[in-house]
Amino acid sequence: MSTGIELTVNGVRQRVNVGDDDLLLEVLRRIGHTSVREGCGVGACGACTVLADGRSVSSCLARAVRYDGVPLTTADGLPEDDDVVEEFVAAAAMQCGYCIPGFVLMGHELLAENPAPSRAEIAAHLEGNICRCGTYQEICAAIEATAQRRQAARQRRSA
Amino acid sequence: MFSGLHSGAGGAVGERWARTDARAKVRGELRYAADQPLRPCLDVVLHRATRPHALLESVDVEDALAVDGVVAVVTGAQLYERFGDALMTGPAFSDQPCLAVGKVRYVGEPVAAVIARGLVPARAAAERVLVDYAELDAVHDVDAAAAGGPYVHEELRPSTVFGDLKHLRGKRDTNVNYEYKLRRGDVAAAGHDAVERGGVTVREEFWCPPTHHVPIELPFTAAWRDGDRLEILSTTQTPSYVRLAVADLLGIPLNAVRVRSAPLGGSFGAKMYDRLEPLAAALAWSQKLPVRILASREEAFLLTTRHGAAVTGSMTADAEGRIVAASADVRYDTGAYADVGPRITAKSGMVAAGPYRVDNVEVRSRCIYTNKPSAGPFRGFGVPQVTWSHESLVDELARESGVDPAEFRRRNLLREGDVSAVGTPMHSADFVGCLDAVTEAVGWDTPLERVDGRLRRGRGVAVGIKAVLTPTISNAVLQLNQDSSATLLISTVDMGQGSDTIMAQIAAEALCLGEGQVRVVTADTDVTPYDTITAGSRSTYHTGNAVRRAAEAMRDKLLELAAERFGVPATDVKLTGDGLVSAQTQERVSVPELLHGHFGARGTTLTTEANFTTSWVPYDHETGQSERVTEHWFAGAVAAQLTVDTETGRVHVEHLAVAGDVGRAINPTLVEQQLTGAAIMGIGHALFDQLVFDEGQIVNGTLLDYQLPSVLDLPDKITPIIVESPHRTGPYGAKGVGETTIIPLAPAIANAVRDAIGIRFPRLPLTPERILTALADQEASK
Amino acid sequence: MSALELETPVLHRPGTLAEVCALLAELDQPMVYGGGTAVQILLKQGVLFASDLVDIARVPGLDRIEETAEGLRVGAMVTLRRMETDPVVRRLAPLAAQVYARVANPRVRNTASVGGNLAHGDYRLDPPTALLALDARVELTSAGGTRLVPVREFFTGFQQTALAEGELVTAVQIPTQPSRAAAFAKLSSLSVNDWPCASAAALLVPTGRRRERWELRMGLGALAAKPEYLSLEVPGGAALDEVLEAAQRAADQVIDPIPDVRGGVEFKRRLGLVAVRDAVRAAWDLAVQPTAGSTRGSVPESAREEDSDVQRTSQRRWWRGR
Repeated sequence: MSTGIELTVNGVRQRVNVGDDDLLLEVLRRIGHTSVREGCGVGACGACTVLADGRSVSSCLARAVRYDGVPLTTADGLPEDDDVVEEFVAAAAMQCGYCIPGFVLMGHELLAENPAPSRAEIAAHLEGNICRCGTYQEICAAIEATAQRRQAARQRRSA
Repeated sequence: MFSGLHSGAGGAVGERWARTDARAKVRGELRYAADQPLRPCLDVVLHRATRPHALLESVDVEDALAVDGVVAVVTGAQLYERFGDALMTGPAFSDQPCLAVGKVRYVGEPVAAVIARGLVPARAAAERVLVDYAELDAVHDVDAAAAGGPYVHEELRPSTVFGDLKHLRGKRDTNVNYEYKLRRGDVAAAGHDAVERGGVTVREEFWCPPTHHVPIELPFTAAWRDGDRLEILSTTQTPSYVRLAVADLLGIPLNAVRVRSAPLGGSFGAKMYDRLEPLAAALAWSQKLPVRILASREEAFLLTTRHGAAVTGSMTADAEGRIVAASADVRYDTGAYADVGPRITAKSGMVAAGPYRVDNVEVRSRCIYTNKPSAGPFRGFGVPQVTWSHESLVDELARESGVDPAEFRRRNLLREGDVSAVGTPMHSADFVGCLDAVTEAVGWDTPLERVDGRLRRGRGVAVGIKAVLTPTISNAVLQLNQDSSATLLISTVDMGQGSDTIMAQIAAEALCLGEGQVRVVTADTDVTPYDTITAGSRSTYHTGNAVRRAAEAMRDKLLELAAERFGVPATDVKLTGDGLVSAQTQERVSVPELLHGHFGARGTTLTTEANFTTSWVPYDHETGQSERVTEHWFAGAVAAQLTVDTETGRVHVEHLAVAGDVGRAINPTLVEQQLTGAAIMGIGHALFDQLVFDEGQIVNGTLLDYQLPSVLDLPDKITPIIVESPHRTGPYGAKGVGETTIIPLAPAIANAVRDAIGIRFPRLPLTPERILTALADQEASK
Repeated sequence: MSALELETPVLHRPGTLAEVCALLAELDQPMVYGGGTAVQILLKQGVLFASDLVDIARVPGLDRIEETAEGLRVGAMVTLRRMETDPVVRRLAPLAAQVYARVANPRVRNTASVGGNLAHGDYRLDPPTALLALDARVELTSAGGTRLVPVREFFTGFQQTALAEGELVTAVQIPTQPSRAAAFAKLSSLSVNDWPCASAAALLVPTGRRRERWELRMGLGALAAKPEYLSLEVPGGAALDEVLEAAQRAADQVIDPIPDVRGGVEFKRRLGLVAVRDAVRAAWDLAVQPTAGSTRGSVPESAREEDSDVQRTSQRRWWRGR
């Protein structure tokens, strides 16, 4: 069966016809969000991560019909001056880059919940994302740097 | 040390430039092959064999064709009728059809291809293909396969590409498709002699299991006809090879095949030579349909693997602690198709005695067919498997000799000018420097708290050697645009190693260009020139040399043009970051002004091109000896400090120090990422990463079961160390680095485990089960 | 093509529990679609046999966590991640919060549901270990009404549960954790974040008229064809070594591992006993720690934060930073 749903991706609302079985991954790619990618198809690698209402989801295991009206975020739709993106670039937190958008979104989710995570807390949050190139240290450093940057901004505001 | 090494002085080489595509990668805006806009293509889904070894009695596609949306169902028999023996492809042996013809040789081999409008009908139809098999005895074990039948192939079919395999053509009744032999001195006599005089011999039977590369990007190929041409977009490290293979398959000229690559989402050897491309090409060409094939993760496991390998090794030291003899009998399980296995067999056989001064060496290295998915190149190219043997043996030899394992190696390591076991002299391979660096980093000589509750702590070290692929060919075309930006055309594929950035830096160095001024064009065989392969850590040296030559030719052209303009000899003109200047007249001109003036127009380009080709002396077929078997060597070392939990058997690495001699680091950040990334991949191989087979069937072929190192598997600390002993003909002294630290990684871990609990593990990986079982045995035998 | 359509289960998205029950009663081979993570994987692997999927996401109320007289009532669609982070769960059943936090990865926990996790009936899952020790009850609803099944009777065999045809899990009732002396140990045998190879939850509950003895309750995961429960009496004056010995002996009776790529029977048995010892030791440390009497809702910090897993100590404490 095919249903018309309203997908809200990165603040842009659009009507999309989706089949009951269509996965969110397929639908997002179909409408151009190729930052969302398949890596394993079983929710184990994190390359297909999107944020739904701010919470990370493996879009390869999510049916699109369930996300009617739910605000979705993909890495390609982050603001131009996104702080997590900037810190990833500064920390050289990428090699082949295929998995990195997923890590960026996981970083956003973590920092929204826990503004000052320890290294161990960062690692715990990223345990389900695989970077086969082995860029983990740079990725953790980028998330740490974002936390510090936000902390400094808060202090400036309150000063 | 070498004059001219640092002559560029352009301020680019040695700098930590950001990757040219850094931001696009982080935002997910970089388009990998499957993300590229494409003309509408039909989807291809394969029906795969359910038997490891069987004759195809019949392949019934009627039900499949009846599924709505199915356009065609193609079998191997149909393709064979169309293409004949050209259907059999492969880089060393022409033994692999893209769809099984007459017989299947591994579980999961493609038998029929469904072409349909959309994946849903394609998948449904693929399930409806009915195959009748007449089962044959299968052979799964590499030693059983070496010993005799059943035979996976009726006869050997070496490809026409390699002349030195000609003598194997038509050989029957064997699963051994290649054998490399190395003989130097007299191992038996030297060993006997040394032991007589108080020396020591150690020997062991080693095993490295098959593994998988698992780049996170899945393999993808699209192909379509454009009149009498075929266009291909593919996830490939080897666009030039694919063009040749497809042209040969279809029987059309090279210029009728266009192969485009895209940035790869990792590869590590998985996406090279014949993967999905021959099938996509054969289908698109014969059916006159635009097709695309996206492998699922489960299918990607079937496309290629890393060779499982058994090594029977021995080493002898004399009473003074000098290694006097070494031997290795290596058996590579290459699966059902040879792929590049014969090359792997030879390249690793050459270094199976390790990076040591040994006068008496005997190596036999064989490549053997079994009924498994084909094994091919994997970061390290077979060398980690033999390193597992020689670095475990050396460690035991040191212990038996009562010498510290690091010191024992130091005494025996090859040094500049020494002649290696294959007869080729050493240059720019600072093993001692690497060893010293990693042992110092982990505090090798400082006291160790060995017992910590139920944890046992230990340290281990290992050294690795590999020869670069030789001979090979690289080309570069450089266009200097009138605005002084540059466009570089090469067929090297950036798959995460950062080659686009490295090549930009090499080009920029000679031309005094800045970060962001050189754009590297993604490989496209209609546009970018031939390059052997992007693999084997060869690009920085080989393509880098071609790029450097093209850039230097460009510099010389600019000097000539400026000399003409200034009316001075070219030797008087200097190229600087601000343009060209005459030493005599102090007259200056910027590059844009110079080119504008020369051509009389804006927007023009000045073009240079260069080739870099290496040569070798083929090794002797009986002794393996060659005075020039390789263009250069890779040298690396790893030291590890770790704990073993004696209750759970789990290894936790506290500190991993990894070093590689890279000649000269063009971009230290990218070099460190290669050193560290290869080490993290190696941790997986050391501790848990392996493909498990049951009667030829992969048991753990999903990422739920096949385990890769996550952030939680990282050592507490990783120290990457760049060692630079410049290569006399490297671009600015540089060599490659992609494989250097994965080679000695697993033995360094195992040697540390040996140090911690006193147990030698000859089989990888060192799972908690293996460790706990061995600890229980140790306890029982006390 | 009709044959093709038959193969793909039909999705239903009812809006009320009554409709769900009606569908489950009338459809041929229905399966409840909760968080969907496990179902999607099984579908992709071609090993899910169902004619229809009944999506319960639109049913109101199933995503509620309520505080009750006895403890907690957790709706079937509450995500694992909420069990990990919800302050009420962390206050009333900290062992459950701790164990739910250890399942797979944050994305799975954001999607997978408490009810689906139980109904899946996999022997390796973490949450049953805590629910067994906490003596939770599973609410099963069908067109015929609702019944309560103790979680200790819910798992009946390899991937088998007490769910009858036409029933779905609608909630889990978790009694308030009676003691702060609880711990969870999870051991993997391949990568650190692999599926558990052995897991154990341990809870020490004071018993006897003067609370002079302990009841040691343990839930075991991945160590037999189904999650296993066992309990034993521990005299008040017992030494830790005696407790460990007794726990190990009892566990050894129920451990009956399934060999796979993660290890053989003997290894898993050995690892299982280590998990049991680790969990019991950590729980015991908390039990004997002198503190003010533990009353409902005042489980000390240490009980929440302790995590006996040797590999991941301190890696799960993200709330401490606030």
